[in-house]
Amino acid sequence: MSLPESMSRIVIVGTKTHIDEAIEAMYDVKAIHLIDHTVGADEGFSLGTSRPYSPKASERLLKVRAMAKGLGINNKTKSNPVPVDEIKSQISSDSVELVEEEVNSVFDKRNDLNQRITELNAKKKNLELLSAIPVDLDMYSGYRSIFGVVGTVAEDPTSALSGVDCEVFSSFDKKKGNVIAVFAKVQDRDKVTGILAENGFSEISVPDGTGSAANALADVDHEIETAESELESANKEVENLLEKHKDFLEASEEELSIEVQKGELPLRIATSEYTFVIDAWVPAKKAESVKTELEANVEGVYVEIQETRGRSLEGTEEIESRFREPPTRMNNGKIAKEFEYPTKLVSVPKYQEIDPTVLIAIFFPLFFGFMIGDVGYAIPFIIIGAYGLKVAKSKDWRIIATAFFFGGIWAFIFGFFFFGECLGMHFVGIPTDGVTHTWQQLLGLDNLPAVFEGILPAGHGVSKVGSEWIGFLMKLTVYIGIVHLLLGYVCAIYNKTIQHGFKHAFLEKGGWLLAFLGIVLMCYGLANYLIFAIPNEAAMNSIDLYCIIIGIVLIIVGTVLNRHEGAQAILELPGIVGNVLSYTRLAAIGMSKAGMALAFNYIAIDMFAGYVWDPVTQTGSVEGSIIGIVFCFVMIAFGHLMIWVLAIISAGLHGIRLQYVEFMAKFFDGGGTEFEPLKVKREKTISNANKATSEV
Amino acid sequence: MAMEGDVGAGLVAIGAGLAVGLAGIGSGMAEKDIGAAAVGAITEDMSLFGKALMFTVLPETIVIFGLVISILCIFVM
Repeated sequence: MSLPESMSRIVIVGTKTHIDEAIEAMYDVKAIHLIDHTVGADEGFSLGTSRPYSPKASERLLKVRAMAKGLGINNKTKSNPVPVDEIKSQISSDSVELVEEEVNSVFDKRNDLNQRITELNAKKKNLELLSAIPVDLDMYSGYRSIFGVVGTVAEDPTSALSGVDCEVFSSFDKKKGNVIAVFAKVQDRDKVTGILAENGFSEISVPDGTGSAANALADVDHEIETAESELESANKEVENLLEKHKDFLEASEEELSIEVQKGELPLRIATSEYTFVIDAWVPAKKAESVKTELEANVEGVYVEIQETRGRSLEGTEEIESRFREPPTRMNNGKIAKEFEYPTKLVSVPKYQEIDPTVLIAIFFPLFFGFMIGDVGYAIPFIIIGAYGLKVAKSKDWRIIATAFFFGGIWAFIFGFFFFGECLGMHFVGIPTDGVTHTWQQLLGLDNLPAVFEGILPAGHGVSKVGSEWIGFLMKLTVYIGIVHLLLGYVCAIYNKTIQHGFKHAFLEKGGWLLAFLGIVLMCYGLANYLIFAIPNEAAMNSIDLYCIIIGIVLIIVGTVLNRHEGAQAILELPGIVGNVLSYTRLAAIGMSKAGMALAFNYIAIDMFAGYVWDPVTQTGSVEGSIIGIVFCFVMIAFGHLMIWVLAIISAGLHGIRLQYVEFMAKFFDGGGTEFEPLKVKREKTISNANKATSEV
Repeated sequence: MAMEGDVGAGLVAIGAGLAVGLAGIGSGMAEKDIGAAAVGAITEDMSLFGKALMFTVLPETIVIFGLVISILCIFVM
């Protein structure tokens, strides 16, 4: 069981003249969790202001990000890291502005071209319509007593227009559209527009120019072609720019965001006219080295270690609120660290409580493996998990790969030594029911039982099938549950002990432990008598009787201890039985998976391949056709793949649920703040100092 | 038509089926409301995923109880 790492509170004091060096040094030690200064907390101090270089860096960062977006730089863009010194000198020599000028001129050109192409296309569309009317472009306007309109109509208005003194040119074409041009006297304008409007008229603006619309159309086509080829070359230029500047843009983006982050740090700390004061948490084992490093590297800085916070919650109410809760830095080994993710899904543990990560790391793969319990499914889990651990980078994939790998190993162990199964079929035994099969029977491996007898102690479970085996599995999972829950109750008492002392812990959580033990004992006795005993036996076994009596006494004592919880103390008692029985899902899910495998195997082997077992000669024969045998293999592949995928969901979800609901609910509070030290992550830039300041 | 086989065994089988089936309906009804609310909460705040998952699978235990009873029916009785 691991508690979060012990934390010390330090105060860093220094002169404002050296604040930049101090900030650098604090980022270098990578172990300082800043405590934000609250306004008015200390007399004579106020919040600091951002460093003078910060606004300029923010402005440049904005420009760099805009350029990066315009050039299409994203997470997948590969760039070469640039040394920090180089990128810094580039930035300070106004490279950002120069690159921006270059990039923007190309962007402007591209935008102009895009706009022009849009305009030309609109013009082209009009000209295409106009080219259906045998009127030159300059003939539509420029008259004194007559006017001309041209446009598209929904219906033919010619007959309606016959009453008006006008000339009509029209072209009706289903594909190209109905175009009509009307020339009439100026005094008839209202009449004509009225008639046209009734027929769904929409006017086309006539482009400037002379000659026929067809000629103009050819000109426009030519113009579009030129503009498009220009656009293509502009796009090429953008690509060249991307290639040319991506290293710089990626590196300067990273460098500038680091600068902005550092430049705005004073906004979180207390400053007076000439000094600054920083409150911070550091891991206790690092406190001394942080002190020496800061004092040695920065002039005019003094560090004082205020306290190393214990786990007790007694008297914490008197502490100033911003110092009350130390941050949580989970203290786990390399493998267990992968399981911090499921813990954090619920909550970050508090500083004063057990971090359940290690327990999840032990029990989750165990439960997962128990539910899978099949060699055939375990091997893909191990292979995929090992491959995932090798290549996966993101936290989500890493936890999945870890769970697959260790869960797979447990599944193999249980599948081989305990259940003796591969793809839903037992290794040894000759079944007589005609539904189940074993590998010994299918492959004719008569020496297989001898092999298993050789490597396993006598009485192993490899060939066990039948009702007594299922009863045993049920009991076994209940016992696993009792152990797991007991651990949960012990953790609860331990948490309260470190927070308030043992007496308080026993009074608060001890009642639940006693009630739990009582219910377990009582149910053991009752179950033995009511379910598992020989039905005709009238008298109760004396051990069962004692179990029931002791159990009831413990329940009563526990409930009395729990009286501070009111009615809950009694109402929650049946819940304990529920919690224990909940662990039978370990057997139930394993059996449902085995049941599905049995069905698929029966369909494939008996129905498709026509496998017949002769109990007299003890030999099997395949009587199906070739197609049937092909179908058999397809069915086996498809069916077991489906079971395998379902197994991930059911075993994974139920495995983690047992941790969350049954186990962690017993002791885990959560709600801690995560330890987030000041540090920078450089991916696109290479740190010139390259100091081996390993992470704490 | 004469009934072949043991009526008692048939009744046990029916009981076992009812135990799983009805318990399944029960946990389904409970889970549908929790699931809808949980998805709503997750869209608001992704960090609630762990808690939401916990609440969603809470009623799952009901169907496990049903399964336990039915297994007891078939194999023990």
